[in-house]
Amino acid sequence: MSDRRLETLKGFYRNYVKPFYGKAHKAKEQGKLVVWVASTFPVEILQAMDMIPVWPEHYASLCGARRVSVPLCELAERKGFSKDICSYPRCVLGSLFDGENLPEGGIPKPDILVASTCACDTHLKWFQVASRIFKKPLFLLDVPYNVESASSKDLKDYYIQHYVSQLGDLVSLLEKHSGVRLKRDKLRKTLVLSNRTSELWLKVQDYRKKVPAPMGAREAFSAVYFILCIPGTEQAVDFYERLCGELEQMVKQGVGVVEKEKYRLVWDNLPLWFNLQMFQCLRSLGAVVVAETFSHVWAGSLDPSKPYESLARKHLSNMSNCTIERRIELISGLVKDFGANGVILPTNWGCRMMTIGETIVKKKVQETTGVSSLILDVDSTDWRNYNEYRVKTNLEIFLKTLK
Amino acid sequence: MEPLELFRTLISVENNFIKGWKHQNKPVLGYACSYTPEEIIYAGEILPIRVLGSLEPPKLADVYLPVNVCSFAKSCFNKALKGEYSVLDGYVVSNSCDNQNKIYDLWRHRTSIHKTYFINTPHSTTENSLKFFFEELERFKEWLTRKFDVEISDENLRDAIGIFNEHRRLLKHVYELRKRDPPLVSGSEALEIVLSSMMVPKDEYNKLLSALLEEIERREDLPKKGVRLLVSGSFMGNSELLRLIESVRGCVVADDLCTGSRYFWNLVNENMEPTMAIAERYLCKIPCPFMYSSEERFKYVREMAKLFDVEGVLIFSIKSCDVHSFDAPLLAEELRENEGLPVSCLEWEYSLSGIAQLRTRIEAFIEMLEG
Repeated sequence: MSDRRLETLKGFYRNYVKPFYGKAHKAKEQGKLVVWVASTFPVEILQAMDMIPVWPEHYASLCGARRVSVPLCELAERKGFSKDICSYPRCVLGSLFDGENLPEGGIPKPDILVASTCACDTHLKWFQVASRIFKKPLFLLDVPYNVESASSKDLKDYYIQHYVSQLGDLVSLLEKHSGVRLKRDKLRKTLVLSNRTSELWLKVQDYRKKVPAPMGAREAFSAVYFILCIPGTEQAVDFYERLCGELEQMVKQGVGVVEKEKYRLVWDNLPLWFNLQMFQCLRSLGAVVVAETFSHVWAGSLDPSKPYESLARKHLSNMSNCTIERRIELISGLVKDFGANGVILPTNWGCRMMTIGETIVKKKVQETTGVSSLILDVDSTDWRNYNEYRVKTNLEIFLKTLK
Repeated sequence: MEPLELFRTLISVENNFIKGWKHQNKPVLGYACSYTPEEIIYAGEILPIRVLGSLEPPKLADVYLPVNVCSFAKSCFNKALKGEYSVLDGYVVSNSCDNQNKIYDLWRHRTSIHKTYFINTPHSTTENSLKFFFEELERFKEWLTRKFDVEISDENLRDAIGIFNEHRRLLKHVYELRKRDPPLVSGSEALEIVLSSMMVPKDEYNKLLSALLEEIERREDLPKKGVRLLVSGSFMGNSELLRLIESVRGCVVADDLCTGSRYFWNLVNENMEPTMAIAERYLCKIPCPFMYSSEERFKYVREMAKLFDVEGVLIFSIKSCDVHSFDAPLLAEELRENEGLPVSCLEWEYSLSGIAQLRTRIEAFIEMLEG
């Protein structure tokens, strides 16, 4: 079966990724403040202050997709970092230790680093190591764990206060280092753009509920870049508007990304960046990934009149800051809303957050939706233990069991 | 030494002190992390005991968990599945690491312990974090009062603080005895003393330990002389690994372990409002590596190494423990470059699988130090 490629996503790397790193390197040369930032950090504040956010996580995924991540991981391991830690930091730290021929000239060096405890221990530790290597300050946003999996509306006041008061400290620190003052007006505008980005991204997802689905995981894992890395920009809004336009057309014409759609899947966690071909392989079997948990955790509605509070509410209630109930609810919801008949739960070797509890997710999703899941033991960027034959066979067998 | 044998037998949820406590119909609360403010629990006449797991293969937990998970956290969950924590009336975890946080989900879903609580320990020591932690402890107090129908007054808290501080001073005394050469207390004995103290009501334990200290001073069967080592790492719930080091001529005289010095080194300020004093002590104690930043811990390890006149350092990381794994190469570098100390970084599994390989590596390191 042939599969269709979306026009909007053609030349994605050349048109968006490459220029992003080019711009960051250039900004660095011009003496602008480059900030390393980890996902689940309220990046809108940095954007409103005209800083250049650089995402080491994005750089790791890029190295994976360019298939240079393993030699970089090995460099980090030679410096004593355990093979069992997340391959993202191993890859990026490795690139700092004499990495050669790095994609996009390497990751731009930070002047300041910011991370939160929202997603995982790895963010904190990774950025701490980098801050030590570069001798640059790290601002850590301490985010209380949302142990009741409370929604953004039901969070405890003192959680929000704790978050908000730290944003005040963050802004003071950034102002001190950059000499640029945060303008309320600019922040408001950035949040408005961020909201628009969220709305459009959710609209993109909505189109995927249609049968046949006009977009799969391969496209989603590229396109998610805008909402994840540069949500408060015109560029993000513009891209998603064009993507929506194309999807709208496809839906009208009843065209799917796969010619004959037999299976609709939900994909949890990260893709195998070094083997994005796998999604093509699934398509050749008539299987399309209609939803990823990764595509459904970044959108949020921010109140421009209460910027700090709404950023606090958004991130405190992020799935990665919640207990397993939230993950089960999200996956079960996706299965129902997107009419999926199977769930893929890829582990990520160095990721405790997503690995622990997968057996419960599998069981509970089955109980609530009647849909079964396949746990795949893989890693997103380190392919040394990857066995193509085994993974393919597992997927093929799994698909055959689906109703 | 005979009295020390008694302390080893106390490292069990079946010890007579716990039985006696239960016999009085008083609740027992298991806790997972050294950031758990025991004084608050104890002030409510609830006995806090440390959940230590065990070295046996975690067969039941393996049904739910893959291999790339902290084997210590897994072993605790395994014991709970086996029903070996039936003595517990509740279980408390702290926001200490991904492994513990996520396995807490499994405790809630799969074990028969229904009274569970999660203390949201911040990861930084800023003023904001301290304020937050204070609020968090006030809520923990409320939860204990409600769930166990107990009273926790400021007066009870002050009494508990007094008892715990006394306890910490006594443990520090034990560590002082290790500065001698040979040390008056071996590394494995010292660890057993600290571990047993987590399993007994502290006021009674203080009496036992005071008596022991008097006896130790007169001790004739001194621990063997050997290469003086500091052991750094996370969790050791028994002395097997230290005994292994001692069996190959290592002499562990100091540690940076969450079940060792990090557990008791800092005191609670007795001249402050008690809950705030407790919040400050736990948040600002010698940090575990999940805290920001690790630089303070590195500084403390360097000081310990000097204070106890060590010749080398062994850094142990349990496999899949992210926070320690990130710190290990940095700490090693710091000790080598700033203190000129030889360091060996070792990964191990809490079940002690692969022990022969571990022994070889430790022995090779000690041989190198012996010259």
